[in-house]
Amino acid sequence: MKGFSVALWTESLKAWRSIILRITVVIFAFMAGMMGLFVYLAQHPELISNSVVLSTKTSMLGKADWPTYFILLYQIVAMVGLIGFGFVFSWIYGREYSDRTVKDLLALPVPRSAIVVAKLCVATVWCILLSVILFIVGTAAGKLVNMDGWSVALAWQACRIFSGTALMTIVLCTPVAFFAGYGRGFLVPIGYLISIMIITQFAVSAIPVIAPYFPWAIPALYSGAAGPDAAQLGAISYIILISTGILGLAGTLLWWRYADQM
Amino acid sequence: MEKIIETNHLTKKFGKFTAVDDINLCVRKGEIYGFLGLNGAGKTTTIRMLTGMIRPTAGTAYLNGQKVTAGNSHLWEKVGYLVEVPYSYPDLTVRENLEIIRRLRFLPDDSTVDAIIEKLQLGQYLDRLAKNLSLGNAQRLGLAKALIHNPDILILDEPANGLDPAGIVEIRELLRDLALNRGVTVFISSHILGEISRFATRIGIIHEGRLLRESDSAELERLRRRSLHLNMTDKDGAKSFLEEKGFSVSGVKEEFLEITDRNAINDPGRVNAMLVQAGFPPTMLKIEEEDLESYFFRVIGRNGGVQ
Repeated sequence: MKGFSVALWTESLKAWRSIILRITVVIFAFMAGMMGLFVYLAQHPELISNSVVLSTKTSMLGKADWPTYFILLYQIVAMVGLIGFGFVFSWIYGREYSDRTVKDLLALPVPRSAIVVAKLCVATVWCILLSVILFIVGTAAGKLVNMDGWSVALAWQACRIFSGTALMTIVLCTPVAFFAGYGRGFLVPIGYLISIMIITQFAVSAIPVIAPYFPWAIPALYSGAAGPDAAQLGAISYIILISTGILGLAGTLLWWRYADQM
Repeated sequence: MEKIIETNHLTKKFGKFTAVDDINLCVRKGEIYGFLGLNGAGKTTTIRMLTGMIRPTAGTAYLNGQKVTAGNSHLWEKVGYLVEVPYSYPDLTVRENLEIIRRLRFLPDDSTVDAIIEKLQLGQYLDRLAKNLSLGNAQRLGLAKALIHNPDILILDEPANGLDPAGIVEIRELLRDLALNRGVTVFISSHILGEISRFATRIGIIHEGRLLRESDSAELERLRRRSLHLNMTDKDGAKSFLEEKGFSVSGVKEEFLEITDRNAINDPGRVNAMLVQAGFPPTMLKIEEEDLESYFFRVIGRNGGVQ
């Protein structure tokens, strides 16, 4: 695509120089580190016997072993990741409106579609980086607290499931890019993300049978974080998930191409 | 001369509100077209349609003979623009902001950035983050982005905003040089009417979305009201004498007499000689020319902005 490489260069520079990149890296590393701390506290309940809140939180962890710990990592990347990755998408697309720099991108020899796709690539790489940090720091924190059940085979399997869950979650973020354009900033896409999380919780709890067909429930089902009794995914589930991602991207491209850019 | 910017029945409605109503413009090569209007008159909406940022509800805009559409990216290779307040990426330096535009405009020569930095006198702010620039320097950076590729067409919305008086003169001279010596076509909107009158070769006045009048500089000169102001010791006697001679003295004001006859305005020396010979020697004689501001308000039917 004409202009894609220069658009990719400029989007990379903008992302690299932003404080938001550093903040998201620190938050994801902190979250992963906190997991290790939770396991440590679960292993030493006497340290938090005076704190009901912490005792409750650590008891939610269940068994403090590696299989349980990895499931917690999948849950984080599927649920918290949706918010975190969604924020990355909303920032990359929405900042042009909140910084009012979008005008500079609209009447250029580089097609608008090249800019939209370059932003998508940068957002995807950024989210993959956060996922890698979450997995590596999380695993390192787990090793530090010395849990039972570690094996290299288990770690590889966890890496595969974690990667799949993260990628699926990233695919579901493309509608956020559309809402960043539609809402001309951050608020609408963040509102969209919160709404989606609430709707997913309610819909899947009320009618569990729809979970394999509800795009935002699919990563959790794939990872097994939804529990052993959860519905199984079929080919249609993956088609629905990919279609959601394609619809989000198509909507964003059409918005940048045809909507009035005020 | 070649038509560079043209609109045919250009109209934009937002719901029931008509922001721009059936505008037909034509700007020829090398012209500096001043686009004047009050806030909300439709200047920026017109400019946004000219730059493909919003789609007309009806009508068409052409640049260099090509229809303006969001998908026609080739169109922008020779167009520079600045729409409203220019904003830049706050976390990037002046150089990085310009480097981004250089690449997005496929300019192969690295030195392009240095050249425009020198031209807009941004050298001392080269490594300063855009968020730390003053309003005037942010405006200069916006102009640098518009000019970096030596465009054939410049579309500028209030480019003098935030500039100090020296900066305004500098930009005026720069634009005049581009138009006169390089044949660049400049479409410039502004509310600083006096400033526009100094260098625009044509002026269009837009009010409530409609283009009320277009005039070139010669026509503008003719359309602006001129009058001969005279003062002398015996104003009543002089008025009677001038009226006997066939001049229309539009009114005796406290300080001076005012004649609007074209003959008197074109030959004030003759009027002076007649008055001296008749024993009414003028103590003051001058031709007053309506400034662009007064002309503008007269055209839009307002008095100093109050209806």
